[in-house]
Amino acid sequence: MEAKPKRSFKRPFAFPKNCVYRPLRQICNMERNKKLPADRPTYFTLNAPPSLVPAKKYSDISGLPAPYADPHTKLRYANADEYASMQNMPSDIINGYLTVRGYTSAVG
Amino acid sequence: MGDQRVLVIDNGSYECRVGWSDCKEPELRFRNVLTKPRKDRKKEAIGSSEGSGTTSSAVEAPAEIQVGNDITNIEAVRAHLKSPFERNVITNWNHQEQIFDYIFTKMGFEGQENIGHPIVLTEALANPNFCRQQMSELLFECYGIPAVSYGIDALYSWDYYQQSRRKVSDALIISFGYSTTHVIPVLEGKIQLEHVRRLNVGGYHIITYLFRLMQMKYPVHLTAITISRMEKLVHEHCHIAVNYREELVKWAQLDYYEEHIMKIQLPYNAVTATNALLTAEQKQEKRRELALRLLEIKNRREREKLREDEQQLFVYNKLRQLYEQQKLQKFERALEQQQIGTLEELDSLIATINSRIKRAQERAQSAPRPSKQQDKLDKMPKPPEGVTQADWLADIHDKRDKLLRRKQARQQQRSEQAKRHTHAAQERMRIISSLAKSEKRRKANGEEEDDGFGMNDNDWDVYKRINRYNDDSDSDADNDQLLEFEKILNHYDANFDDGSVNVQAQSAAENYQLHFGVEDIRVPEILFQPSMIGCSEAGLAELIAFVLKLFPAEEQQRMVDHVYLTGGCGQFRGLKERLAKELLEMRPFQSQFAIYESDEHTLSAWLGACVQAEDPGFGQTLTTRQDYQERGSEFFREHKASNLFYPTPKD
Repeated sequence: MEAKPKRSFKRPFAFPKNCVYRPLRQICNMERNKKLPADRPTYFTLNAPPSLVPAKKYSDISGLPAPYADPHTKLRYANADEYASMQNMPSDIINGYLTVRGYTSAVG
Repeated sequence: MGDQRVLVIDNGSYECRVGWSDCKEPELRFRNVLTKPRKDRKKEAIGSSEGSGTTSSAVEAPAEIQVGNDITNIEAVRAHLKSPFERNVITNWNHQEQIFDYIFTKMGFEGQENIGHPIVLTEALANPNFCRQQMSELLFECYGIPAVSYGIDALYSWDYYQQSRRKVSDALIISFGYSTTHVIPVLEGKIQLEHVRRLNVGGYHIITYLFRLMQMKYPVHLTAITISRMEKLVHEHCHIAVNYREELVKWAQLDYYEEHIMKIQLPYNAVTATNALLTAEQKQEKRRELALRLLEIKNRREREKLREDEQQLFVYNKLRQLYEQQKLQKFERALEQQQIGTLEELDSLIATINSRIKRAQERAQSAPRPSKQQDKLDKMPKPPEGVTQADWLADIHDKRDKLLRRKQARQQQRSEQAKRHTHAAQERMRIISSLAKSEKRRKANGEEEDDGFGMNDNDWDVYKRINRYNDDSDSDADNDQLLEFEKILNHYDANFDDGSVNVQAQSAAENYQLHFGVEDIRVPEILFQPSMIGCSEAGLAELIAFVLKLFPAEEQQRMVDHVYLTGGCGQFRGLKERLAKELLEMRPFQSQFAIYESDEHTLSAWLGACVQAEDPGFGQTLTTRQDYQERGSEFFREHKASNLFYPTPKD
């Protein structure tokens, strides 16, 4: 171990194994389970509220306002040209567009 | 304590800035990431050292972890980049320790016993107690610092902004970070922590969104589209639309598109491009040259082998002569030398070599054969005798059209079958059920009642008709024929146009261009419409309205009089105008508001922290080693730019 350049400014120290890494979700849950007073701000309570305005619909391909959606692929599109280009699109790209938009089908 | 220099660390999830508080700017700025060289390479190094038996310490030392600016090519290790952060909170303490090692080494602490300077460190808003506790433990126990002061970057930045201006006690700070965006109300100089709201969308999401969009728009250039390049695009060219819908509609018009489209040239290799530009004949010529060269190499090798064989044969023949001349002793010694067992073995060896030589000579005589084959390949089909070329070509044209029509019809049928409720799909189901029925009847009767299906070859076509997937053998054959026809037409008919010519007319470099158009407003728009990336949280404008509504009208007015923008993503062009428009919409009629922008978006937090560290009252804000030891590791002293301390209740 002597070969390793020693950082002289450090002292021997190590976190307990279960504290080295915890996912943020777990830390948040830990805070919530403490039964804190309701008015006390925590990282979790700072989250933005869910949006109340209906989400606008934009074409997955071009980003233009999209009045149409293809029932087959579930992609949104703005005009006939886009629809035509969608027909020859490989399924991984279609899925890519859907996941970017956060669309998950009910069937999975 | 006042005589000690203070080390200020603005520990952002995108970039970390470190410097002494009495300096004008941070000495050290680096991307807050680290990478470990790949494991297998390390293993290889160890394996080789074991193999050679040397135990050089350089090889044995584990591969050095690279942090921040030490990473020379960030794209090469993109998949292995690690960050201590999850969103804007530090969760991985191993990584944070590496980062601190890097910071303190670069700041020249190597050789000292501990870090003998107070530290100012930024942290997330409402940083969980657990995280702060870990941080304190790390700093005090591992690095032996005397004291620390935790603060919030946005508040430091606001502090710095007020330095050169009139002091203001109320404000609405909007802080644009790499992973989060905060709306922070400040009243009477105090942060209203319980009413702060955080939108979990930031620069990271903007960059990744652009990255994904571009990858899907240009699947061909998948590898050329890198995060670094997208980052550059976002930094230099993206802006926020003042009226998003209006600008979008503009992009839908072709002339506007032509005029405003930005074409990004990807690096492309001229050599491969010229290769693609060569005509068919030049390509053939090249191929022939290559074949000739290969042939020559093969011939030379064969000649060498032949010579070797001949020498061997000569030796063996000599041996044979020895035997025939009855010089047995000499013969046996020679056999031993050649490692040959008996006379029979020698004879069989001679025979095999002889036949090998014969074969090689035969081959050499018929060597010109491959070039003949080449000629055959190049030969174009000629019009059959008794038919003029024009007639023949017209015929081929007809055949080709027919094939194309058939292909189209097949495609149409297949796409119709894919949907239910169409006639084609119902017909398909009918055929399938009738096929199944006839099979069942046969089994029920117990005896082979032959309905004659399959006697006629055409019967089997029914399966082709109901096959919904992929191309069947028929269409494969058609495609082959189509290619053949097109080859002939390309060769004989000057007017023939199969649609691929247009593509080739474009310069090769243009094929390596990304069209960057609507993306420049589409990508940063996710700050205002997180639903575009599937995030259900309220957009920035909605969030501001939400936060304001938590206060009485009079306080709302005091805050919107000073809306302050800070943070890296706050530099988007048009952001201020857009927020002005949104505020105008949400505020009461004819009310006033004002938006101020930080003049140092990325550095102001660090500078503000320095200002505070130079303040005479700074000593009061420090959490000292004594505090840490007496009041527990989660304790910290509050100050005007810090989080609020809420002790974790004891169970």
